[in-house]
Amino acid sequence: MFELIINILLFIFLGFTFFTHVLEAAVPAKVAKNPFVLQPDVWPKTIIILLEICLIINIIKIIRKNKGNPAFTLPAFVKSIPTFLKSKQFLGIIIMVAAALLLETLGFMVTSLLVLFFYGMLLGERNLVRLAIASVCITLVLYIIFSGMLSVNLPRGTIGFLRNFALWLESIVGAVKNIF
Amino acid sequence: MSMGELLASGLAAVFNPGMFFMVCLAIVLGTIFGALPGVSATMAVALGLTFTYTMEPIPAIIFLTAIYCSSITGGSITAILFKIPGVPSSAPTTFDGYPMAQRGEAGKALGVALLASAIGGLVSAVAMFLLSQPLTKAALQFGPSDLFAVTFMGLSILTCLDSDHILTCIISGLLGLLLACVGQDKMYAVQRLTFGSRELLAGIDMIPVLIGLFAVTEVFKQTDPKKKRISAEDGVTGGKVNTKMPSLKELLSIKWTLLRCSVVGTVVGILPGAGATIASFMCYTMETKLSKYPEKFGTGIIDGIAASEASNNAATGGAMVPLLSLGIPGGNAAAVMMSALTLKGVQLGPLLLTNQPTYLSATFMTMIVTNILMVIVAMGIAKVFAQILAIPYSYLGPIILMLALIGTYGDQMSATSVQIMVLAGVLGLIVRACHLNSAAIVLGLVLGNMCEQNFSRGYLMSKANIFAMCSPVQHPIAGVLILGCLVLLLSPIIMPLLKKKKA
Repeated sequence: MFELIINILLFIFLGFTFFTHVLEAAVPAKVAKNPFVLQPDVWPKTIIILLEICLIINIIKIIRKNKGNPAFTLPAFVKSIPTFLKSKQFLGIIIMVAAALLLETLGFMVTSLLVLFFYGMLLGERNLVRLAIASVCITLVLYIIFSGMLSVNLPRGTIGFLRNFALWLESIVGAVKNIF
Repeated sequence: MSMGELLASGLAAVFNPGMFFMVCLAIVLGTIFGALPGVSATMAVALGLTFTYTMEPIPAIIFLTAIYCSSITGGSITAILFKIPGVPSSAPTTFDGYPMAQRGEAGKALGVALLASAIGGLVSAVAMFLLSQPLTKAALQFGPSDLFAVTFMGLSILTCLDSDHILTCIISGLLGLLLACVGQDKMYAVQRLTFGSRELLAGIDMIPVLIGLFAVTEVFKQTDPKKKRISAEDGVTGGKVNTKMPSLKELLSIKWTLLRCSVVGTVVGILPGAGATIASFMCYTMETKLSKYPEKFGTGIIDGIAASEASNNAATGGAMVPLLSLGIPGGNAAAVMMSALTLKGVQLGPLLLTNQPTYLSATFMTMIVTNILMVIVAMGIAKVFAQILAIPYSYLGPIILMLALIGTYGDQMSATSVQIMVLAGVLGLIVRACHLNSAAIVLGLVLGNMCEQNFSRGYLMSKANIFAMCSPVQHPIAGVLILGCLVLLLSPIIMPLLKKKKA
């Protein structure tokens, strides 16, 4: 049922996109008037039309395949939603979504620490002290390797003391680098 | 300078203790850079550049060339062990490499990847030395229609990525092509499909989607306690890679794959704008079509790894051909190489062979030496990387997520990229549940822009006549390639129907 719902939603979304969002700005007059130019909307619209055709075929295929299947009902699907919302997989997704949203505010180090700790717990680590120590160590190693040694600009965070700590750590790595 | 003299000067440049040590150091650095997710070959060369500021031109050329070649190979290590392609061109390596690692054949997969990389690199180095000028002239004959045909050929893999779900593979490929349309149109800068988001104006970058669909989805999948987790038995025992290398018999069985993909990879590398990623996808497609057992591709066979790795390394060497002989970079990494070499006083272009022949011979000899030494050095590095796999998954999973986050953020320095990566990770779960295909989405995204741009240019040049654009008379290369692609694309659909009729 989930597959069918996704296919139908995709079909509706693509239909909406076709009429409203393929072109979001005016085409330059020179381009629009040139009969030999492939207009900027032609390529995406062609892809959407092909997708819609394929989706219709796929929807028919899914319905035919599941004809007579007692589990292939909307109530059965609705019943399975709370189970998914309580699952570890869903919690994992929540952790990563939060990390992605808070990355620039909290900075790399705090985000990494939290992800390593909470995702580690989620994956079944029982020794929380060991997990906390490992999270701190891994975060520092990653920050020193990527930010300090490879000059990958990782976010320092917008909160004052977190930013200062990141800058302090970078200055130490920089000083060590200068010695060598 | 004759060929013999050129060769002798190249040997003299590389084979002295100091230079030899430098090549080894560059290989170690290049392989590590390549293996780290988010540090692309382009970034590896840029990072390597800082080491060369005080060097003389020849040592600098040797150092940078070795980093450039080995970084592409390094990408295969994490692709096989963690399903994170270190560089985008290693994405097809995950299709067969990761299943092999899960089956306990990580050593064999790495061995094949490294040997294939070396062979691809050697073939392209020889091509660079011998055929630099004629090959460049031939590549310049490729017009937009021909380049469109080359990209279209890459897309023809769609119908054979999963023979049981052809329709969903096509849907996935089309979704990838549509994702590539997001942002400003590359030809006329018209805003498309952004839904008002300023962050999407520059388009959807390939790296976050790639890392999200492959690495993040895998960790999400492993989070489900009902699923079997990768463990110490999965190719890695006690932190040691099972170093059982492929047997001679196995290597001989893929000799034609290696040769074909090395040659095709070199040619694709020479084409301006194509590059290693397109080469690896295209050769993977080609081998799937030519194989006697296409259904086994994607399940963990050495042919798939050989196709991907031989071609992406060959493309790296191939990109050096127009770079050295015409001063035209074949891809992003080659463009950084170009600026680095120019900084060192190298006159790239037709005068290189006349004015600075030693630079050409040093580059050639470094490529040869690097590709041979790389097999040994990279295997050592792979063993170190594999130690990580011995860590319990409650630690390894979050580490993979953080590496994915760093790789994505480091590419564009943008939190939006990280958000796209997480979204792609969730999308990967939906893709699995709906029997769609992640590889097809990536393929569409990778080839989408190039396909549209070349189609658009070809359309304009043929005055809006699609048939003239693909006509074997006016554009023989495009005509033959597109015809071949259509046959290949439709064969998995038509062949079973024909078989049914016969039965």
